[in-house]
Amino acid sequence: MSNINGKVYAMNAVTPMKTWKTWILRTIFFVLGHIKPLQRDLIDLSFIEFARWVIVPRNGFPFMKNGQRQEDLKYDYLLFFSNFNGTWNQYIDAFSAVLSKGLNLIWRWSEKFPGSVPVTIFKEYIARVQFDTDYYYTAYPHATANDVKSAHIVQSSLDSLSLVAERCTPEQFADAYLRFVMQVQTHLGETGEAPIAG
Amino acid sequence: MPNKNGSVYGLTILSPIIDDEKATPSHDLQIRNYLAHLSTREESPFAQAPGTHLARLVVMDDVIYVGAPACEEHLKSKYLIFESNCDGDLDSYLSGLATSIPDHLDAVWNHCVGYPGAANRQAFLDYMKACQLDTTFFFAAVNDKSVTETLRALQTQSAVADFIASHQGVDSATLQREFLEFVAHLKALPPPRPGSMGPHRDIKTGGRNE
Repeated sequence: MSNINGKVYAMNAVTPMKTWKTWILRTIFFVLGHIKPLQRDLIDLSFIEFARWVIVPRNGFPFMKNGQRQEDLKYDYLLFFSNFNGTWNQYIDAFSAVLSKGLNLIWRWSEKFPGSVPVTIFKEYIARVQFDTDYYYTAYPHATANDVKSAHIVQSSLDSLSLVAERCTPEQFADAYLRFVMQVQTHLGETGEAPIAG
Repeated sequence: MPNKNGSVYGLTILSPIIDDEKATPSHDLQIRNYLAHLSTREESPFAQAPGTHLARLVVMDDVIYVGAPACEEHLKSKYLIFESNCDGDLDSYLSGLATSIPDHLDAVWNHCVGYPGAANRQAFLDYMKACQLDTTFFFAAVNDKSVTETLRALQTQSAVADFIASHQGVDSATLQREFLEFVAHLKALPPPRPGSMGPHRDIKTGGRNE
């Protein structure tokens, strides 16, 4: 079991919801998905590589027959999977501090959700509904979400400079190169081993 | 479609694990045991198959009881969760897995109810889709780049940092000539292998509340 691979942490959580509340949450996600400015806080947090919420209706667990017993559940379930950089505590603290309204909007429909502030009770709840990852893979274990974003900016700037580099005089190239360095200089952080966090 | 964000696909599969009291060890334990010995680096099955940014496999033992006054209830099956953030469309991705790593897929999913095996391609695709759950909301920080593009960009980022550091104060003509050589060299390099960046760690950390 490992929830961590390189600089990424895999979180899994499952919470029960009364079936009538599910539709409210579906509507909220629909609006969140279609009005991009509402995702601004999620984007600004910048340490989440991928995250998803999956609502499983009480009769929606896959049923493959062949001797499998059909589920008989009262609740719908909200599954949450996140791939984030940093430690569990940093993640929950940041979520609670920056996204408390958004989190409450999503999880308030789950049973016994205490609210994302104060953070101590929130952490207790997350720890209760979390379950561990058996196998975790990432194609770029030593890069954070910010490293990936920065790397694409560097690549794009380099491609643009490459297009004109051959056609310039040395003096024109030197000017273009200087502009390139200024564009990319804040995106050249070194990737590598993650610090061990206790 | 909520399963997609830009060009990235958010795949969520829940496969019921065979519940056979005569099996020793139990099927869920056999899955866990197999996964515990799989490499998570460039030898990973997901590094050998195309198109996986990040993926996880999780045995879900049960739903979680959050305490009174909520009702306590339990699942009748354990489920293998396969969560993948991958390139392209679903059929291409699943076919890529079935072609590249059929033995690994069979070793894991043979413990799941109704799994037909990766060799029967159409049955495999049908099975995986039957076990798929639609994602309700999918967030991707970078949603328009493939795995290969990202690996290449990370390689470029590191090389550009070195180039800039080593070319401070160089005259214009030399700078231009060496920049063109640098770009040509960079283009000729193969992208890093998925899962391969950086040194290996001997100590595997992990666990709750870190």
